[in-house]
Amino acid sequence: MKKLAQKKSFQTIFWIILVIAVWEIFASIVEQTQRMPDNIMPHLWQIAAAAVSTDKVSGGMTATQVVLTSASATLLRALGGFLIGAAVGFVLALLMQMSGIVEKMIFPYLMLIQLIPVIGMAPIILAITKDINQSRLIIAAILSFYPVATNTLAGFKSVEKEKYDLMYTYAASRRQIYTKVIIPTTIPYMFTGLKIAAPMAITASILVDTLQGDGGLGCMLSQALRHAMNIYVFWLIVFFSAFIGVFSTYLIGWIEKLVSPSERALLFAKHSSKKKLKPDKNRSHFSMRPRKLAVYHETDAM
Amino acid sequence: MEMQKNTQEEIVIRHLGVTFKDNAGNDVSAVENVSLNINKGEFISLLGPSGCGKTTLLRCVADLQEPTDGEVRIEGMTPKEVRLQHKFGFVFQQPVLFDWRTVRKNVELPLEMMYQSKKQRYEQADKMLEMVGLKDFANHYPRQLSGGMQQRVNIARALGIRPDILLMDEPFSALDEFTKEKLHLDLLRIWRETNKTVLFVTHNIQEAVFLSDRVCVLSPHPGRLSAIIDIDLERPRTLQMKETAHFNELVSEVRNSFEGGSV
Repeated sequence: MKKLAQKKSFQTIFWIILVIAVWEIFASIVEQTQRMPDNIMPHLWQIAAAAVSTDKVSGGMTATQVVLTSASATLLRALGGFLIGAAVGFVLALLMQMSGIVEKMIFPYLMLIQLIPVIGMAPIILAITKDINQSRLIIAAILSFYPVATNTLAGFKSVEKEKYDLMYTYAASRRQIYTKVIIPTTIPYMFTGLKIAAPMAITASILVDTLQGDGGLGCMLSQALRHAMNIYVFWLIVFFSAFIGVFSTYLIGWIEKLVSPSERALLFAKHSSKKKLKPDKNRSHFSMRPRKLAVYHETDAM
Repeated sequence: MEMQKNTQEEIVIRHLGVTFKDNAGNDVSAVENVSLNINKGEFISLLGPSGCGKTTLLRCVADLQEPTDGEVRIEGMTPKEVRLQHKFGFVFQQPVLFDWRTVRKNVELPLEMMYQSKKQRYEQADKMLEMVGLKDFANHYPRQLSGGMQQRVNIARALGIRPDILLMDEPFSALDEFTKEKLHLDLLRIWRETNKTVLFVTHNIQEAVFLSDRVCVLSPHPGRLSAIIDIDLERPRTLQMKETAHFNELVSEVRNSFEGGSV
């Protein structure tokens, strides 16, 4: 039982069942006590039924079709904004790393941008650009760049002094120090930033949608909530965006495993420790095997 | 002194002084007026308690630290010139390995700086790993190795560039006694095979006596050279020598040479 509880798949299933159970208990209570239970907490099977239903809810599309069409509008901009934000964040961190003056000038004020609520910033950006797509892109980028910039900078700073000393004694060039030491050390930190930024970019993009009536997840969400459309569209979007948010973080973790040198080293180490390291321990090897002093003599190897 | 026969001065340290500024802006002298000549192929230890400036002295030779007074010359060249020619192998106290590189790739790293071809690097890394006894671990990652093995990789990497001078900053101080003894013997073997000049920083008296031709005793506040003691134990050194009366005499001589008596 203990062994089973430690398994990751078991833990996942346990939590899913728990959430479903709690949801259903509350849904039943809501059903009994509230006048419009669909708005507050419908049963999960009702939402599932809405997802597979062929009834047309808007403009000749089923509920699922509505969600997927508007999702592509929102998520593509979120992705674009995320990529721009990540690139800007990385370059900014690099500039701060290379110049102490830039760091002192920029870093304390970076956080201020992060502190302005998106809900206040979005209408301003929309008023300036007069284009909902550009606004989605910009807001997503603004929210993405900060976690990427700070985490990447933390990565740059995590390089130990000894590593610089070592490279110095080898007369390494600045470019070599960056490509062989600093960037590889920083990659895991940068990915931490990316994992935080991805769901934020999606949330931001959905939020911007609500400002204007021409499509996008956020737009459909508010319409459904105001009963301009089937309320189950609302529930489908809630679940869909939650899934996409979680998925985005996992996707980036997966990309990290592919590209990050240290992740790959770790993966390889885990893999080979099962197959290779164990027999090594028994194999005679002088660094592992204790020897009698008389045998282990300086002239031995000569 | 019989040391003078068939020797040739390689490192000349003249009136070396290093002064740091502390937080209050006052000058703090770390090393004061140290003069020392080191011969080619010699094994020299810089011995002293922490804060005696032994590491600072080593860093001056390696061009990692700019002296405020005096100078270091290596066969007439400045430390910087020697460093740019890749003539220094520096072994730090910590292994300073790169986790994402295999053992082999770690050893190849400095060779990449020297723009050697892939084949050259591979063969050189093989040779060095063979020398330190880690040939079977070439494709392992540093985290899979014990502390002693990591330090072996560190030494292999430093030797890989074929340096004239090996600078070692308390390389074995983090290791247990058994591993340390093994590495002492290995280091002496490698030293004999390769004919390097070794400058070895340590705070361990036995270690200094066992390894060295000469032990330079440094006293703290400010760091200055208080004695140079010839170690006339025959070579090759064996672990049994540590139990001889003569070894213990040398250890006491070194201990008593610290200013203000034993430490």
